[in-house]
Amino acid sequence: MHRALLPGLASMILLAGPATAADAPPGASSCTGCHAPKKVADSVIPHIAGRKAEDIVSFMREYRSGAWPSSVMGRIAKGFDDRQTEAIAAWFAAQPE
Amino acid sequence: MATRRRFLKLTVAAGLAPAVVSAQGKAKVVVIGGGFGGATAARTLKALQPSLDVTLVEPNPVYTSCPFSNSVLANLREIDQQQFRYAGIKGAGVTVAETSATAVDSDAKSVTLANGNRLSYDRLIMSPGIDFTWGVISGYDEAAAQKMPHAWKAGAQTVLLRKQLQAMDDGGLVVMSAPANPFRCPPGPYERASLIAYWLKIWKPKSKLLLLDSKDAFSKQRLFQNGWAELYPGVIEWVPLSQGGKVTSVDPATLTLTTEFGSHKAAVANVIPPQKAGAIATQAGVADRTGWCPVEPVAFESTLRPNIHVLGDAAIMGGMPKSAFAANAQAKVCAAALVKLLAGEKPQDPIVINTCYSLVAADYGISIAGVYRPDKGQLTDIPGAGGTSPLVAVGGLRGQEALYASSWFRTITAETFG
Repeated sequence: MHRALLPGLASMILLAGPATAADAPPGASSCTGCHAPKKVADSVIPHIAGRKAEDIVSFMREYRSGAWPSSVMGRIAKGFDDRQTEAIAAWFAAQPE
Repeated sequence: MATRRRFLKLTVAAGLAPAVVSAQGKAKVVVIGGGFGGATAARTLKALQPSLDVTLVEPNPVYTSCPFSNSVLANLREIDQQQFRYAGIKGAGVTVAETSATAVDSDAKSVTLANGNRLSYDRLIMSPGIDFTWGVISGYDEAAAQKMPHAWKAGAQTVLLRKQLQAMDDGGLVVMSAPANPFRCPPGPYERASLIAYWLKIWKPKSKLLLLDSKDAFSKQRLFQNGWAELYPGVIEWVPLSQGGKVTSVDPATLTLTTEFGSHKAAVANVIPPQKAGAIATQAGVADRTGWCPVEPVAFESTLRPNIHVLGDAAIMGGMPKSAFAANAQAKVCAAALVKLLAGEKPQDPIVINTCYSLVAADYGISIAGVYRPDKGQLTDIPGAGGTSPLVAVGGLRGQEALYASSWFRTITAETFG
C-alpha cells in the first residue's frame, strides 16, 4: 500500500541526503500555522507531525476531490499536485510526533 | 578568535565602535518588529540555524494580537487573552532589543536604535506592520482617535472602543468607517461589524450599526451579508462608496462623520483610517510611493534596497492579503531562504498558503484561503485553489469553522511566541 501510493519516495529522500529544516518542500512551512508541530491544548485541528505519509497523502487527495468534506483543506489541497503533496507528506511523516 | 571577540566586547562596552559588532564569523540577522511576521522570522531562523546571531528589535514588552481583538469588543474575550510576551523567543536564543529602530542605513548595513546603539547586519528583516495615514480623513488625527477610536492596532484602543460601546445608551447609533484597499486584515471591518451587532442584539437591542465604506466590494462579502440577514436583520446598514460611503471628514467633538453625500452623528464612532507600511520602512527606503514595500516573491527581498527583506502587512505580496497567517507563513519562507542565501546557495521557489477565519457570531465562522507561488515577479494565486466557505453550509460547517478559528489562534500564537 505504502509503495503503491508513494512510488520512489524513499529512494528520492535517500538520494537527497540528510535534508535540513531549511529544505522543507515548498508549502510545508505554511501548514504549521494551523497544524502545530507540538500538540496544542484545546485544538480541534489534527496534529500531522509524525503521521504516516500515505495517510496524509490520501487525506489530501480526498480533500482535493471533495470525497472527504472539509473546511479550508479542500481549497488548499487544490493548490498542490500529487508530487508536491507526497513531498509534504513525507516531510511531516519524518517530523517527531 | 577569542582575543578578537574579547577586543570587540571591550570596544563595544566602551562605546567606541558600535558598528564593528558584527565583524566576526557568525552571520548576523536583525529583525525589526515583533509581530506575527517578525517574531516568527526570528524564532524560525534560530531553529533552522542555531549558529546565527539573531536580534529582534521590538519596543513593546507585550504584544497585543489584532486577530480575535474583535471578540474583545463583543465581550467574548478579555484583552489579556490577546497578549503575548517575548520570553519564548528569548528562550529560543534570539536576542531581544527592547527598543525601537530609528534609522536603517542600507549602504552601511546597520540599524540605529532609539537607545543609541547601532546593530550591523548581514541581512535585515523588516516586519514593521502598519502606520496610519493621518489627515486623509480631514479632522482625524491621533487626538481624534481618543474620541473616535480606530482600534486597528490592538491594545488600549480596543479597550477604549469596548468601554464606549458599553457606556452607550440603548438605541444609540454605532458608526464605523472602513478604508479603501489595501489595508490590514481585509475582512476585519466586517467581522467587527458582525460581532458588534452580535453584542448589540444582546445588550443594546434598540441600537443599530452604520458601516460607511470607501469601497464597493469587500472580502467574503456574500458570506457576511448572508450572515447579517440571517442573524441581525435590520441591525447593520452597509453603505458602499457608490452610495456615499466614503468618509471625507470627521468632527471628534460631536462624533460626526461626513461623507460625500451627507453627515452622520454617532453615539460611538469607530474610524478605521487609510494605512501604509510602518514609518521605519519609509525611512529605510523600502516603501514606494504607495506607502507599501515592493518585494521579490522568493525571499521577499526589497526590490528597492538590497539585503533588506520585508514581511507581513507592510509588504506588497502580490495576491496575498495582509493577514497574521500570511505574515507567519511568509516569515517561515523568508527564514529558510535567508539560511540558503547566507550559505551562498539559491533559495527554492516557495509555495505560500493563506488561511483566514472570520466570526459572524460567537459560534458562526467563515473562511477564505489561498495558495500562492512566484509568477512573473510576484506571489500569484494558484488557479483553481483557494476561495471562501460555501454560501450554503451543510453539516454544521459554520459552527465548525468558528471552532477552527479559535484552534488556529492558539496554534499560531504558540508557534509565533512560544
